[in-house]
Amino acid sequence: MGKIRFKFIRGEQVKYISHLDMMKTFERAIRRANIPVKYSQGFNPHPQLVFGLPLSVGVTSEAEYADIEIDGELAPSVFLQQLNTQLPEGLKVTDAKESRAKSNIMASVAFASYDIFIKTGLDALELQEKLDEFMKSESVVVKKESKSKVRDVDIKPMIHRLELTNYEKGKSTVCISAFLSAGSSANLKPELLFSALKEKSMPDIRLAGIHRTGLFISGKGKMVDPLDPDVLKG
Amino acid sequence: MKISDEILISVEKPSRYTGNEWNQVNKDLSGINIRFAFCFPDVYEVGMSHLGMRILYHLINERDDTYCERVFAPWVDMEQRMRENGIPLFALESKDSIKDFDFIGFTLQYEMSYTNILNMLDLAGVPIRSSDRTAGHPFVCAGGPCAYNPEPLADIIDFFVLGEGEEVINEVLDEYMKWKSSGSSREAFLDNISRIEGVYVPRFYKTEYNQDGTIAAIKPKDDRYPGKIRKRIIKDLNKVFYPEKIIVPFTDIVHDRIMLELFRGCIRGCRFCQAGFIYRPVREKSAERLRGLAEKLVESTGYEEISLTSLSTSDYTQLQELTESLIDDMRRKKVNLSLPSLRVDSFSLELMEKAQEVRKSGLTFAPEAGTQRLRNVINKGVTEEDLLNSVSIAFEGGWSGVKLYFMIGLPTETYDDIDGIADLGNKVVKAYMDTPKEKRGKGLRVTISTSSFVPKPFTPFQWEAQDTIEVLREKQKYLNSKIRSKYITYNWHDPELSFLEAVFARGDRKTGEVLIKAWEKGCKFDSWGEHFKFKEWLDAFDECGIDPAFYANRKRAMDEVFPWEHIDIGVSRKFLERENKRAYKGELTPNCRINCSGCGAAAFGESLCKT
Repeated sequence: MGKIRFKFIRGEQVKYISHLDMMKTFERAIRRANIPVKYSQGFNPHPQLVFGLPLSVGVTSEAEYADIEIDGELAPSVFLQQLNTQLPEGLKVTDAKESRAKSNIMASVAFASYDIFIKTGLDALELQEKLDEFMKSESVVVKKESKSKVRDVDIKPMIHRLELTNYEKGKSTVCISAFLSAGSSANLKPELLFSALKEKSMPDIRLAGIHRTGLFISGKGKMVDPLDPDVLKG
Repeated sequence: MKISDEILISVEKPSRYTGNEWNQVNKDLSGINIRFAFCFPDVYEVGMSHLGMRILYHLINERDDTYCERVFAPWVDMEQRMRENGIPLFALESKDSIKDFDFIGFTLQYEMSYTNILNMLDLAGVPIRSSDRTAGHPFVCAGGPCAYNPEPLADIIDFFVLGEGEEVINEVLDEYMKWKSSGSSREAFLDNISRIEGVYVPRFYKTEYNQDGTIAAIKPKDDRYPGKIRKRIIKDLNKVFYPEKIIVPFTDIVHDRIMLELFRGCIRGCRFCQAGFIYRPVREKSAERLRGLAEKLVESTGYEEISLTSLSTSDYTQLQELTESLIDDMRRKKVNLSLPSLRVDSFSLELMEKAQEVRKSGLTFAPEAGTQRLRNVINKGVTEEDLLNSVSIAFEGGWSGVKLYFMIGLPTETYDDIDGIADLGNKVVKAYMDTPKEKRGKGLRVTISTSSFVPKPFTPFQWEAQDTIEVLREKQKYLNSKIRSKYITYNWHDPELSFLEAVFARGDRKTGEVLIKAWEKGCKFDSWGEHFKFKEWLDAFDECGIDPAFYANRKRAMDEVFPWEHIDIGVSRKFLERENKRAYKGELTPNCRINCSGCGAAAFGESLCKT
């Protein structure tokens, strides 16, 4: 048999785990669940397990994806059920399907959507105006830190949608939903977008939390769900 | 209590503080009578690597009336945020403040963690001195290897538990249940448990001093307290509780694997090594029991590695049988086996190659001293030939990284012995060069590390003086100048830290004041280089009118009364004295299996010594 692609939730309880530790957590849960995973060759065999897009420490998600290679036979529904008995609180597999996708999930991720929760003194009207203004700008150049250097990056082309989705009168926490480029070719982290908003448009805002709501791959020029039957057919 | 996201996101490694790991014990508080905070006075990654804590956590939680939770020292960034926000020290499981717990228990693994104990008590809002705690405060207890000289902490800890805790902790908790319903005083509880073997309540003892500052006598304040407090041991390790589930941390800890304890005690008797004496007599677990535990632990944790841990793993009598069956069992599950602390003289290539089938690990040797003369003095019965043979075999097997551990400042050491360290390093390099190119691995790396000798209680060297900081530094400099090979890296320990270790390892009750003073001056995380404040320590000694050299650098008279004179580990003072004399004559003492040297530990049950 081949691969299973699965979707999982990362909740509040486990949001401070780093990406590497998250992978180790799954590897150990897979061993506990006796899931016949395929291992890499060599001195230091590793289970063949690939995750979609790393989440930053502190970020929750309802749309994480991973591909796993199975050694032998295992129905995706059995995989889901067995693995869930061995996952710590806060992690839960919500869907699993057999996959013949041409490329693995990490290589095919193209977009991600987020809810960015902010604390602000601005009211709904002011916020909407600021966001519209921000989206109208030709470019949004910010400093991006990589391993050794800081360089200027225009993040504007990577922001596809930005809207106020939740505003309750009298509440100081509001939600901005963002649809951003993600993956290996162009990737915008929601934290960086927040910093840009704060720096360029709304200096008073404070970050209260980030939640990933979706992860998508591009297929035939449009974005699709990683578990879309057409994608999994290969 | 909930720790806010704003705080957690602002600190390094927030998952140190969030708990919720696989196999964490969760309990409904409504049925709980005793809340126990098991504290490790260092950060999460260090504390979670400690086997004793992992055993006792699950052991205590076997009780339906008790909930044992873990507490670690918050790193300085988290501590600052906690103090700014008025967050008291909390238990990892429930996040409840430990101020309202019934017990706060510390494990004492190294002297330089003592300031963290004070800091944790303070952060918890619990008075630091035992005498300032009153009804409603938790009882503060401690155990672990450093508890064998409990005196520096005598004014801080309410009671100590000496020796292996698996049985005695339950006896204490049973007494507590009786006491809790009796409504008697705090003092009455301590009085009750002072009758349990292995429990030491320092407030019931007084120390009398001589004019010169040495101790005249340590006596119980009343006849009803034991004159000598004897450590506890577990007689049958096959029957004693060992957890079949252990917590699997999310974040990388120092020893992130299943630890299988093969045996307790050590047959060797290296004269500098405290562990070699305090854990006597040697008691083994059967290979069958260990195999069963390994199977269950792999199942319950999903760990990818098992390590065999004991003081001298290769002395385990069923080692071959055990490793062969474990390697077989684990290969299917892709679980690695690691074999730490193998002795040079029984180094077995066969064994290493078998372990290597699954994974290759580095090689470590601990000759401890540079010349045969000095190795005989410390009773490290290893010869240069042994070492070079083992190293050559390893090089032929494809290894190319070797670590060599030595000690400087050992009794009778001369500069010839230090030359010997450098020579040995060069000979290891030569052994590599003499290995055929097609067999040896690429990129030779030899690391020489020296620690500084710290005389410890209950060892044949408990009477000895430590070299002064200046002399230790001089010797390190000398050795560094002698090591010229580009293949050899030299690492050394900070002699100032070793000096303080020596003070508190053999400190008396008076030194407790220095601990408090140093902590007040901001000392904590002393063993973490960047937080070590030696000047503050010296000021603390000065202000307390205590000369640290009296404790570290003074050779004791053979008949001097030690601060730990009232503690009985089973090994007799006479035996240690005999070993001290043999050391000066350079005489080796054979290991326990070759010949019983009459150390006294047989008193725990003679049959134990014969395994």
